[in-house]
Amino acid sequence: MTALTMYCVFTPFVAAIISALLGKYEKLRNAVVILATFISLALSVLIAQSPARIVCFASLNFQIGGFNSTYAIIAAFMWFAAALLSPQYFKDHNHKLSRYYFFFLVTMGATLGVFLSADLMTTFIFFEIMSFTSYMWVIQDETKDAMDAGKTYLAIAVLGGMVALMGLFVLYNITGTLMIADLYSAIQYVGKSTELYVAAFCLLFGFGAKAGMFPLHIWLPKAHPVAPAPASALLSGVLTKTGVFGILVVTGQILRDDEIWGYTLLALATITMVLGAVIAVFSNNLKRTLACSSLSQIGFILVGVSMITLLGEENALAANGTFLYMINHSIVKLVLFLCAGAIYLGAHTLDLNKLKGYGRNKPVIMITFLIGACSLAGIPGFTGYLSKTLVHEAIVEYAHLSHLPIITIIEWLFLFSGGLTAAYMLKLFVAIFIEKPTEETEKGKKLSPLSAIALIISAVAIPVIGIYTPLVEKITYPMLSLVNGHHFHHEIHYFSFTNLKGVLISLAIGILVYALFIRKVLVKNKTYVNPMDGKISLENQVYIPLIKILTAVFGVICRAFADLTDFLIFLTRKSVLSDAKEHTEHQRKYAYALGDVVDHVKHDKTHKNANLFVRVSETISKTTQRISSNFSFALFMTCFGVCIILVFLIISFVS
Amino acid sequence: MNSLFLIVPIFLPIILGALSFLIPAEKKKQRNTFVMFTILCSSVSVWALALNTPQESLTLLNFTENLSFVLKLDGAGKLFSCLSATLWPLTALYAFEYMSHEKNLPMFYAFFTMAFGATMGIAMASNILTMYLFYELLTLFTIPLVMHGLTRKHNQAARKYMNYSIGGAAFAFAGVAFLIVNDANDFVFGGHITSPEDPTIALILFVFAFLGFGVKAAVFPLHSWLPTASVAPTPVTALLHAVAVVKAGAFAIIRLIYYSYGTDFIKGSWAQNLVMALAMFTIFYGSMTALRQKHFKRRLAFSTISNLSYIVFAATLMTEAGLLAAFCHLLFHSIIKIGAFFSAGAVLHKTEREYVPELEGIGRKMPLTFIFFTISALSLTGIPPFCGFVSKWYIATASMEAQNPFAIVGVVILLISAFLTAMYMLSPAIKAFFKRRDNANDVSDVKEANALMQVPMGICAVLCIVTGLMASNVIELIKGVLAI
Repeated sequence: MTALTMYCVFTPFVAAIISALLGKYEKLRNAVVILATFISLALSVLIAQSPARIVCFASLNFQIGGFNSTYAIIAAFMWFAAALLSPQYFKDHNHKLSRYYFFFLVTMGATLGVFLSADLMTTFIFFEIMSFTSYMWVIQDETKDAMDAGKTYLAIAVLGGMVALMGLFVLYNITGTLMIADLYSAIQYVGKSTELYVAAFCLLFGFGAKAGMFPLHIWLPKAHPVAPAPASALLSGVLTKTGVFGILVVTGQILRDDEIWGYTLLALATITMVLGAVIAVFSNNLKRTLACSSLSQIGFILVGVSMITLLGEENALAANGTFLYMINHSIVKLVLFLCAGAIYLGAHTLDLNKLKGYGRNKPVIMITFLIGACSLAGIPGFTGYLSKTLVHEAIVEYAHLSHLPIITIIEWLFLFSGGLTAAYMLKLFVAIFIEKPTEETEKGKKLSPLSAIALIISAVAIPVIGIYTPLVEKITYPMLSLVNGHHFHHEIHYFSFTNLKGVLISLAIGILVYALFIRKVLVKNKTYVNPMDGKISLENQVYIPLIKILTAVFGVICRAFADLTDFLIFLTRKSVLSDAKEHTEHQRKYAYALGDVVDHVKHDKTHKNANLFVRVSETISKTTQRISSNFSFALFMTCFGVCIILVFLIISFVS
Repeated sequence: MNSLFLIVPIFLPIILGALSFLIPAEKKKQRNTFVMFTILCSSVSVWALALNTPQESLTLLNFTENLSFVLKLDGAGKLFSCLSATLWPLTALYAFEYMSHEKNLPMFYAFFTMAFGATMGIAMASNILTMYLFYELLTLFTIPLVMHGLTRKHNQAARKYMNYSIGGAAFAFAGVAFLIVNDANDFVFGGHITSPEDPTIALILFVFAFLGFGVKAAVFPLHSWLPTASVAPTPVTALLHAVAVVKAGAFAIIRLIYYSYGTDFIKGSWAQNLVMALAMFTIFYGSMTALRQKHFKRRLAFSTISNLSYIVFAATLMTEAGLLAAFCHLLFHSIIKIGAFFSAGAVLHKTEREYVPELEGIGRKMPLTFIFFTISALSLTGIPPFCGFVSKWYIATASMEAQNPFAIVGVVILLISAFLTAMYMLSPAIKAFFKRRDNANDVSDVKEANALMQVPMGICAVLCIVTGLMASNVIELIKGVLAI
C-alpha cells in the first residue's frame, strides 16, 4: 500500500521529467501526459479501497482513506479531464508547451501530496511546491496582464506560505506533533492558550490566501482568467480547495467547536461570498466572471465550515453540506472553465460582447455549460441544489439555536448571493448561447472528440448525484472524520417545500437582479458595460500604497543607520586626524579684496598686490594645515604646553 | 593520524601560495595547475584529517606558560574546515575561467591560495589566541584580493575593509585578553567563565569581543565594509565574502559563546539580549536594504549580511538547539550563496551587466545559469524541499524553545525577512526568464557561460536539493560531529 501511494503521488513528478524530455515529439508527449494523469487517477481510486491508515515514506507521512482519498480522486480526475482538453486547446498557440506540461504534472503531484498528507509538515512541503509551480501556469502566456497577475499571485503565495509556516512553528511548539490525527488529543492535553489562537490564525492566513478568502483574495480574480483554460479549471477547482483543506484541519482538529474561530471565519466567509458575487455580476469577461464566481463559492463553502464549528455536536447538516459543496464546486468549475476554454479555442476572445451568440449550434458546449450553470445556481435536480440546501439549513438551524439576529441577516445574504449567482450565470448563458450573433462574433470550429469527451465526463456526475440523492451520504460520510462531523439524524427530504423555499427565494432574487439590474443598467445599446471596471481595487488602492509607504519608511530608517558607522569614522578622521582641507574660495576672495585695496592706495593697475596676497594667503593656509594636520604637530603643541608649565614652575620656584 | 598532520592544510597553501609568485606572469596554464594542485592537496588532507581525526593536540610554540600556539581538530572545526575545503576547489575552478581576462593574476592566485591556509588555521585553532592570530592573518591575506582592480574604487573598498577589520580586531583583542587572563584560553564545549570576579566587566568585554568578531560576520553596525567590498572579482566575493571570511566571523562568534565564555554565564543577561537584538536588527536591515539595491552583486552582498545574522542570531540563543541551527545555516547558506554569486558572476563575466533591470530576458540566453540561480533563490527564501528551508526551520524552532520572550520576536523577523528574501531573490529570476514585450533590453548577443563556470554552479545547485532532501541525515551528521 505504501508503494501504491508513492506511485500515486510521484508518478506525475516522473512523468513531468519524461514529458520535458519528449518535448519535440508532441503527440507522444500528449499521450504521456494523459497516461500519467490516468495512472494517478487509477491509483488514487485503488488506494481508496483499502481501510484508512497512515503510510510513511522518508520523512513524509500520507493518510489513506476519508477526506484525503476522496479529494485525491477528485483532484486526479480533474487533472485527467484537463489533460484531455489540453491538446486541442494548445493546438494553435503552442507557446512554451514543454514548460506548461512539465509544471502541469509537477503541480498535479504536489496537489495529490497535499491532499494525501497525514501531517502538516508534509502538507506544507507539497503546498509550497504547488504554489510555486502553479505560478508558471498563471504566466504561461507572458503577456503584460499575465506577468502582472503572476506578480500578485506569487507575492500572496509567498506571504501566505511564510505565515502558515509561522503558524506551524507555534503549533509544533505547543503540541510537539504535527500529525493531523494526533493534534486534537495533544491540544486537549495542553489546553487552549493564546499561542494556540496565534497558530490557528496564522494557518488561516496561509491557507486562506490559497483559498482566496477576503482580504487575501486579490490574486484570484487576476490570476484565474489569464491562465490557459485547463489550468484555470484546476486553479479554481482544486488549488483553492487545498486552502480549504487547511482551514478544515484547523476547524476539525485544532480549534474544534471554538466560537471565536467560528465567528471570525463566518465574518470573513460572508464578505468573500457577497463580494465575489457582486464583482461577478459586473464582469464582462467570461473567465473573469467564472473566477469571481469561484471567489464567491469559496465564501459559501467557508460559511459552511464556520457552521461546522459553531454547531458543534449538531453539525451533521453543515459538515455534509460543506463537503458536498466542495465537491460540487470542483466539478462545476472544471466543467465551466473547460467550456470557456472550448469557446476561447474558436472565438479567441473572452469578451462577452464579442462572444454574443457564439454558442448557438454547439450542443455539447451548450449542454455541459447549462449543467454547470444550473448546478452553480442551485437549481433542483443538480448537485449544487443539494449542497446549497444543506448549508442553508445549517444556517437556519444555528439561527434557531443561537437566537442571534445577525445569523438571520447572514442567512439572507446567503440567499442573496445565491440569487446573484443565478443572475450572473444567466447573464453568461444568455449572452453566449441565446443572443443573436453580431458581426464581431466568430464562427468557431468543431470540438475534437477528445475535448468533447473531457467535457461530457466532467459534467455527467452533476445531475446524477443531484437526482439520485442517496449517493450524497455515500460520498460525504467517509470524509466527516476530518472535522469530527456527524451523520444525519434522520433522512433528509431534499425536495420538501421548506427546502425548496430557500432556493425559490434565491432564484427569484436572481431573476429580479437579471431583469432589473443587468438588463437595464449593465446593458447599454445592446453591449455589456462594466461601470466598475478597474475603479475599485483593494490591491491598487490599499495594499500597494501600504507596501510602498512601509518600504519607504523602513528604507529611510535603514538608510539612516547604514552609514552610521561610516559617519562616525568620518567624524573621527576629520576631528582627530584632521584631514587636510582644500583651500577655500572665501579665503581667496578676502585676500584678493585686501590686495585690491592696497593696489588702489598705490594706484597700481596691474593687480600686483592682489595676486601676491592671494598667493601668500594660500601658502600660509596650506602650511598651517600641513602643520596642524600632522601628528607631530600635536606632539609639538604638547611639548610647547609642557614647556610653558615648566617655565611657570621655574618662575614660581624662583620667586 | 598523527597530530603533526594538522599543519599540512594550514601551511601547505600558505607556503606554496607564496611560492606561486615565482611563476612568471605569462605562464597561465602552469600557474593554474600549480594552484589547483595546492588547493586539492590541502582539501584532500583536510578530508583525510576529518575522517581520521588525531585525538591529541599539536603545540607548535610556547610563548609563555599559558600562552601557546596550539592546533586541534574538534567537531566544530571539522564542520567549518570541511565546508571550506569543499568549496575552495570549486571556486578555484570557477576562477580559472572568470579571471582569464584579468590582470595581476600572480597576486590574485597567491593570496587566494594563502587565504585558504589562514581559514584552515581558524578552523583548527585550539585556543582563542591561535584563532585570533589566524583571524588577523586572514584579514591581511584578503586585503590584496579586494584591491585586485587597483583603481581608486578598489583601493577605497580595500581601505574601508581594512579600517573595519583592524578596528574590529582591537575590540576583539580586549575580549581575548580577558579570556587569557581568566584561564579561558582553550576551547572547551561549555566554556570556562562561570563566576567571574566582576560580572559586569566580563559581560562588557563579551560584547566587545562579539562586536570585534562581528565585524567579519557583518553584524550591524559594523557591516558596511561588506557591500563595499563587493567590487572585488566574483570568485573573491563568492568565496570570501559569502563563505570563508564572513563565516570565519560567525564561526569565531560561535567559538566565543559556546567554547570560551560558555552559555551558562551569559544566558539571560543584558549582554545576550543586546547581541541578539543586534543580530535581529541586522537580519531585517540586510533584507530591507537588499530589496532596494539595483546592483546585482550588492543585492547579494546585503542578502549575505542578513543571512549571516541568521547564524549569529541562532548562536546567541545560547542553547544546544541554537548551536545546531547555527551550524546548519552556516553550511547551507554557504552552498546557496556561493551558487548565487557564481550565477551573478557568470552574467557579469559574459555580458558585463551589473544591474538587475538589465537582466530582463537574459535567462532565455543563459538558461542553465538562471535555473541554478532560481534554485539558490528558492532555497534562500526557504521553500521546501530545498536546503534553506531546513536551516530556517531549525532556527525558528530553536528560538521557540529558547524560553526567551525576546527570541519569539526573532521568529517574526525571520518570517518578514523570508518574505523580503523572496522579493529580492525571485525578482531577478523572474525578470531574467520572462521579458516584458515592451522592454527594449537587447539580449541577442548574450551567450551562455561555459562549462568551467557551469560545473561549480551546477554542483552547488545539486547540493541545495540533495542536502534539502536528505535533511534529517545532515542534521544527524552535524549532531554527531558536534557531539550534542
